[in-house]
Amino acid sequence: MLLQLRNIFKWVQQGGQRVFLLKDINLEVQEGEFISIMGPSGSGKSTLLNVIGMLDTFDEGEYDFLNESVHTLKEKYRSNLYKEYIGFVFQSYHLLDDLTVEENLEMPLLYKKIKGSERKALVADMLDRFNIVGKKDLFPAQLSGGQQQLVGVARALIANPKLILADEPTGNLNSQQSEEIMQLFKKLNEEEGVTIIQVTHSEKNAAYGSRIINLLDGRKI
Amino acid sequence: MIKNYFKIAWRNLLKDKVNTSLNITGLSVACAVAILLGMAAMFQLSYDGFHERGESIYKMVRTEQTPKGPKAGTVHAAPLAPTLEAEMAGVKHISRVVQDGTLALYNEKEINMDIVWVDQDFFSMFSFPVLHGNEKEPLADLNDVVLTEEGAQKLFGSTDVVGKTFNLMVNGEEKPFTVSAIAKDIVPQSNLDFQIAARFESHREYNEAKEQWDRQYHEVFVELKQGVLASSFEQSSKSFVDLYYGEGIERLKRDGATADENGRFINLELVPLKDVHFASFKNGTVEVSRSRPYLIFGVALLILFIACINYINMSIAKTAKRLKEIGMRKTLGAQKKQLFFQFWSESLFVFIISISIGVVLSLVFLNDFKSMFNTQISSSMFWSPMFLVGLLLSILTITVVVGGYPALLMSRLGTIQSLKGKLESSGNNQVRNVLMVFQFSIAIIMIVGTLVLWSQIDYMRNKDLGFDKEQVVSFPLNGKRNSHDMVDLLRDELSGNAEIVSVSGSDSNLGLGKDGSRSSSGIGFEYKGRIVMTNFLIVDHEYVQTLGLDMVAGRNFESAADSLGVVINESMAKELGEQDPLTSQLEIEDGIFYPVLGVVKDYNFKDLDRAIAPMTFFMSRQQDLTYGFVKVAPTNMANSFVALENAWKKLEPNADFLGSFLDENIDRTFRQEKTTAKMISSGSLLAIVLSCMGLFAMSLLIVQQRTKEIGVRKVIGASVGSITYILTKDFLKLVLIAFIIASPLSWYILKEWLQNYTYRIDLSVWFFIGAGAIAVVIAMLTIGTRTIRAARANPVKSLRTE
Repeated sequence: MLLQLRNIFKWVQQGGQRVFLLKDINLEVQEGEFISIMGPSGSGKSTLLNVIGMLDTFDEGEYDFLNESVHTLKEKYRSNLYKEYIGFVFQSYHLLDDLTVEENLEMPLLYKKIKGSERKALVADMLDRFNIVGKKDLFPAQLSGGQQQLVGVARALIANPKLILADEPTGNLNSQQSEEIMQLFKKLNEEEGVTIIQVTHSEKNAAYGSRIINLLDGRKI
Repeated sequence: MIKNYFKIAWRNLLKDKVNTSLNITGLSVACAVAILLGMAAMFQLSYDGFHERGESIYKMVRTEQTPKGPKAGTVHAAPLAPTLEAEMAGVKHISRVVQDGTLALYNEKEINMDIVWVDQDFFSMFSFPVLHGNEKEPLADLNDVVLTEEGAQKLFGSTDVVGKTFNLMVNGEEKPFTVSAIAKDIVPQSNLDFQIAARFESHREYNEAKEQWDRQYHEVFVELKQGVLASSFEQSSKSFVDLYYGEGIERLKRDGATADENGRFINLELVPLKDVHFASFKNGTVEVSRSRPYLIFGVALLILFIACINYINMSIAKTAKRLKEIGMRKTLGAQKKQLFFQFWSESLFVFIISISIGVVLSLVFLNDFKSMFNTQISSSMFWSPMFLVGLLLSILTITVVVGGYPALLMSRLGTIQSLKGKLESSGNNQVRNVLMVFQFSIAIIMIVGTLVLWSQIDYMRNKDLGFDKEQVVSFPLNGKRNSHDMVDLLRDELSGNAEIVSVSGSDSNLGLGKDGSRSSSGIGFEYKGRIVMTNFLIVDHEYVQTLGLDMVAGRNFESAADSLGVVINESMAKELGEQDPLTSQLEIEDGIFYPVLGVVKDYNFKDLDRAIAPMTFFMSRQQDLTYGFVKVAPTNMANSFVALENAWKKLEPNADFLGSFLDENIDRTFRQEKTTAKMISSGSLLAIVLSCMGLFAMSLLIVQQRTKEIGVRKVIGASVGSITYILTKDFLKLVLIAFIIASPLSWYILKEWLQNYTYRIDLSVWFFIGAGAIAVVIAMLTIGTRTIRAARANPVKSLRTE
């Protein structure tokens, strides 16, 4: 088992009242799954994804990731954990504008303290695999949205994570680009056994996954 | 990793060129100015610090409790030093010192040179290294002199002159002296400045004065034996004072003086050599104040501070643009520590560039700085270890604090928040506002300072001093001829010239002439059972009319034959306390009474930082005049000056003519004020420019951040004016708060400063209102350009960027 959420609650105080963002979420994810999280706006999809990604905290409940209980870990260990095992893909790509494609890909490796020669090899490998060798010296602003998201996925994959979290990865893309990215996810999941959890609005994209989780007002339904 | 940081830093800097160049310009200019000012202050503080035995050398000061309050004097009687050496334990070396100008003659040459008349111990005490000649005892013989290299070059044209003989004018006669040694040139930061050092016993007054305890005309420096404390020396000097100054103490008691807290009337005090440059005796006590160099240091720090505030504010404001990067980096596993180091190293990068430019700038502008602020700093000071250590320390502090604070803020941001691009900014704005208020307070204080300083200088320049300064030329009588003869000869020579009104002379200059020397003398005598003290001026009979002084009673000297009477000023008349001062007879020499012929209106014969003191004019051909005074007609003053110079050249072909109009001389006396004023005004200019640069950059960023708001407001129907008002209001509020803080502070500081001047301007509110207005107007102009442009922009465009 890759991760397990037990009775997760998350809330904010608004005008003296608790507004629940997540309410009693229980979830088990096995390695190799491809899960789609769906639900209307404000239902807590992204919050759940962030909690799984350890970018956000929760107020109650327990979270085990690879048999480590995340809720008891300090920030430093938590960040070690997620930089080791989790890759993120965002709707608006979040590439660093000041860095070239190649440098963007290299960055996660820098934070993992991987040696220079090995970094070079991994980046070259990834560029090759995604067919973007020719674009390695371009800056994000010089790429189309689809290409940027391709780089985004490549960046998420480069550190060889066990889990990819994708927050509406195709939200800013046209249908053809979406199709390509989803195919890529499917291939990664099937051929390389990478676990993927994606948040999506589209039934069509959700259909790529092996399981669908529906949320409404912070609750699983 | 570091390579990556620098890459990002570099690209970030390039991307925001306006901001970057504002930051780097501001920091490097501030750095350059701070270095220069720091060096100027260091130079001041290093005065007399080069003497190896300086720690145990002291200048001797005598303080007296007179009926009118305490008085302190640095001049002493000739027998004091030898008696002290003979009778007091703890004296290692002692030397009497008279600093003087003298005429040196060698072959055909007649040159005015700076001379010190000193005792044999002089060269053992002070570190004026002897290059060749008699190193051990350079002044062993009464006729021995030591020349500095500069002095030897001037007189002989060579420094290889040990053993050669030349003449000095002493008491109107040429006396031969032999060069026993050549010393290294005197460094600029020495208070003892000379080209010739000769034996004290050869000084013109020595033969008459050597036994007299009441004739004080020279300074005394003493070096104490190792382990002897100045305080214990002062303590044990008490019985010595009682013994040798007993008569004086009795007289002070009789005249009604009150003893000091220790029950003493006369004390000998020691001022450490390193304090001498900063000591003043104005209020009758020894006061050591290094406030001027510290003020300069302060200005340097404030300017650096302002530039640093700019940097902090801009960095914090720029955080908004980098939120996404911060969030993304955190998502990729960056820890706080790593983010902090990244942003800090970016700052470090900017600082290294700015400081390097600053150092280069300061070295490039060193010479301009030197001449503008007439300081003697040199680039070698820059490389002195103490300065470098100080510089490195301040750079380190700045980079840690100024670079560290924004970096800390950035590294602390939450991941999700920064990814979403949201920034709770209220806390940061508070810091920013406080810093900006601080910045503008400094600028306003400096502006007020500038305005007040220049007004005071202007006031002193234009004040009616009670004598005619525009039409009178003064010149040192530095020739070979007897000074009285010289004045008479000049008078004859110029008598045919209708544009020369009158010619006279005295033994002291007014203001500071081109020769740069000043002196004053005073006497005290018994008058009706008490001591009366007065300044004492040897004059020629045409002195009063030449200077255009007004007579208020009696008559002026009419001819050289009036030398049996004196003319006094109003303050002296008051001091005498007679109903009719013209009835007084003054016992200036023992047993000889001089009637008061007339009273002149008070005039400022000393600088304007002093009140007018009693003055007595005395005519005596026995005592030399040292300055000539010539009054010229108001027309063709330049021609008259040339005529005077020609007459001089004819009579004294070998001596330089160093004449100058008295108003120039007066100007020269507040050279220090002018330098300070120049420094403060350039400082305040820089402060306001830097503050405005910060303000400009801030307004740029704020306008960018509020683009959406501006768009929305316009769509709803706000006018350009109202939007400009909204954007400007916040900043103006800060400037106004700064004004409220700065006004009382600057009022207090300047009030204290003006206390130094007996004649001073009033601190009117207009100085403060003016400074505030200047700050507000400049701030408005700075923000205005950006805000109006933003307010006029098409709202559709600004809304689309969201």
